[in-house]
Amino acid sequence: MRAINIPRDGLPVTTARDMARDDSISGRFTLKTEVVVIGSGAGGSMVAWELARAGRQVLVVEAGPYHPSSAFTEHLGDTMTEIYREQAAQLNSTADVLFPEGACVGGSTVIGACVMQQPPDSVFRRWSEELGLKNLAPQVIKPLFDEVGREQYVHLNEAHEINTTAHKVIQGCERMGFSWKPVSRNVRQCALTGHCLAGCPSDRKMSALVTHLPWAVGHGARVMADTEVTRVLIRNGRAYGVEAVVRDPRTRQKVADLRIDAEVVVAAGGAIQTPLLLQRSEIPDASGQLGKNLAVQPFVQVLARFREELHGFRGALVGVEIDEFIETDGYMFFSALAEPEQLMIQGNQGAGPDHINFMKSYKHLAGLNAFAIDEGRGEVKWKGSHTDGRKVISWNPSRAEFEKLKHGASLASRVFFAAGAEEVYLPSFQRLSAPSVFDLDARLDEITYGVRGMYSLRINSFSSHGTCRMGVDRYHAVTNARGEVYDVKGLFVADASLLPEPMASAPHWTVQTLAKQVAQGIHARGQELFLKG
Amino acid sequence: MTSSPESDRAAAHQAAAPMAALSRRRFLKTALLGSAGLAVLAGGTFAVLRRSPVDGMAVPDTIRHLSHGEYHLFRRATEVLLPVAGTPLTPLSEVPVLAHIDAMMGLLPAHLRKDVSAGLALFDNAAVVSGWHGRRFVDLDDNAAVAYFDRWSRGHVIQRTLNAVIKQFVYVSYWRDPKTWPPVEFDGPVSDRWGIAYLGNAPLPDESALPQTVENRT
Repeated sequence: MRAINIPRDGLPVTTARDMARDDSISGRFTLKTEVVVIGSGAGGSMVAWELARAGRQVLVVEAGPYHPSSAFTEHLGDTMTEIYREQAAQLNSTADVLFPEGACVGGSTVIGACVMQQPPDSVFRRWSEELGLKNLAPQVIKPLFDEVGREQYVHLNEAHEINTTAHKVIQGCERMGFSWKPVSRNVRQCALTGHCLAGCPSDRKMSALVTHLPWAVGHGARVMADTEVTRVLIRNGRAYGVEAVVRDPRTRQKVADLRIDAEVVVAAGGAIQTPLLLQRSEIPDASGQLGKNLAVQPFVQVLARFREELHGFRGALVGVEIDEFIETDGYMFFSALAEPEQLMIQGNQGAGPDHINFMKSYKHLAGLNAFAIDEGRGEVKWKGSHTDGRKVISWNPSRAEFEKLKHGASLASRVFFAAGAEEVYLPSFQRLSAPSVFDLDARLDEITYGVRGMYSLRINSFSSHGTCRMGVDRYHAVTNARGEVYDVKGLFVADASLLPEPMASAPHWTVQTLAKQVAQGIHARGQELFLKG
Repeated sequence: MTSSPESDRAAAHQAAAPMAALSRRRFLKTALLGSAGLAVLAGGTFAVLRRSPVDGMAVPDTIRHLSHGEYHLFRRATEVLLPVAGTPLTPLSEVPVLAHIDAMMGLLPAHLRKDVSAGLALFDNAAVVSGWHGRRFVDLDDNAAVAYFDRWSRGHVIQRTLNAVIKQFVYVSYWRDPKTWPPVEFDGPVSDRWGIAYLGNAPLPDESALPQTVENRT
């Protein structure tokens, strides 16, 4: 029996600074491992743990910095600067849709709101029966969901984890007859600080930083930060490693060029970064679907002002969800109220006295985020050479998606009016609010589609997926049902890119479950994939 | 305020994000620069009206990145957008909004900085003809200036973009400062204050149901 030593806190991570100080490392060096995992978020950390505990030699490479929990300040501005991708300004090509994403060891699990949702069985039945993905049949995948849930304290919010914002949503739902339930979250003994988006300094959030990464390290995996993989190395239809650049996270100066020879390569950078990497690597793409089918789960935030003081920014950030419309219309609603600086970025503000009155009423506000399933028509594309090109995220709402989001905003507004709101602020690039439910439709009519829906509704996305979709037909999908890229043996995807269709469910839990399945599939094919079997 | 250059850079990118879209989209950029030229021309036509008392006003030595015109535009925008005097909100004298904007502006990439500059000039000068104010934005009285913002917030894409950029620079610079939080009862960081215990890494789950390891198999 092996002794497994899990660090008490923090992680042994090799950083650019470590490499710069190491005289034995020149400007270019090579490492060897059995498995290289690109990305350390929900998918990458799960693969690393599963394969490390199965006895494989695993190296995790993360483009972002290592930011230990002890460094979190609970100041969102600081956190966005340090560990959000592009300092929280990752945008679509028209710069009106924001795609916040973690760019650090632990990825988006570090900055997420802990929301864990399982898609309904009907989704898995469809994927199994109509798309032929038998590995996703409910009886196959649901036990894996349960396993993932047990690993990280996933539980329904208890009464003390439901804050005043959430209680207003409950009141509204009860009066409207809408079904609601406490949100499931992966957190242990939540301290109710409300600072989830700025990282959890007391390590209560079950991010990869405190779960699968330290567990993988306990089984011998190594983790490198500040290391950006520029391309996957492929020869004769077989992946055999990656090329990467190590950069100082502060100065962006190159510290070293790195080559990692590996028998299995697992791309787990998320639905935006992974297709970009595979495009830079010029993988064969018989389906022509690489980077396409981007689904973004767009959401808009409706704010409401109540007569009483709520202090709705206190307590667990996300308390309850409205689950009335998930299966029928593809809507998800989550209660949440952002901190002041984030409000300035997320929503359009009035001018002068209007803004002052709005902020004076901050403690009277409640927030409800309306997510809608989209059509998955977006695209992520790398333009230029693999060393100095740039990414382009193309997603603007179709007219149907626009109307759907607007209807979501309408439903959220009605929930708040039913709960007694005195005014509802609509998610528009114009400054729009409705003083009563009787004025709501007229105000919503002022939000028009215009040109490609640009600068009209205020839209954000936390949950991109589908850009390397899995499928049983190599002319229709990027990876097979095992997550292996068609025509490139030994190259796997283990993140939200894999999802075969747009999904109306927060993807974190699904991504971890798929990653577990991919890792177990790699392990089961050890004789075929690894030299030592 | 614990503001670092990196933190300022992040805020600057967020505030200027709408302008980045214009910069990337050539037809809008052309329209923006064309409109700016037109506004300047129009302002030139009404040269007497276009002169402003602020042209003779000084700029503090501490301002390093904002031009004379930009400084006074943001100074006026801050007064108009944040009329906190007589309210419980933190006075502008305690929050260095213009210094924050100056620092943020200095961190924008050169191409974006140039376009923001053109946009700001357009916003200021277009008031001469837009709404027939007959004077630049910096010279509008409070009510007219608020109405100007409101009108641009409902205008075409370029107007909505510039309205959003200026507001975001001003509002983010104010509200990211912790001194502004107590009046709205936002708690800010609490873990240390509340003495919340640190839990460390999660314990390893029961691995007895592991898939068979390589070592076990061989």
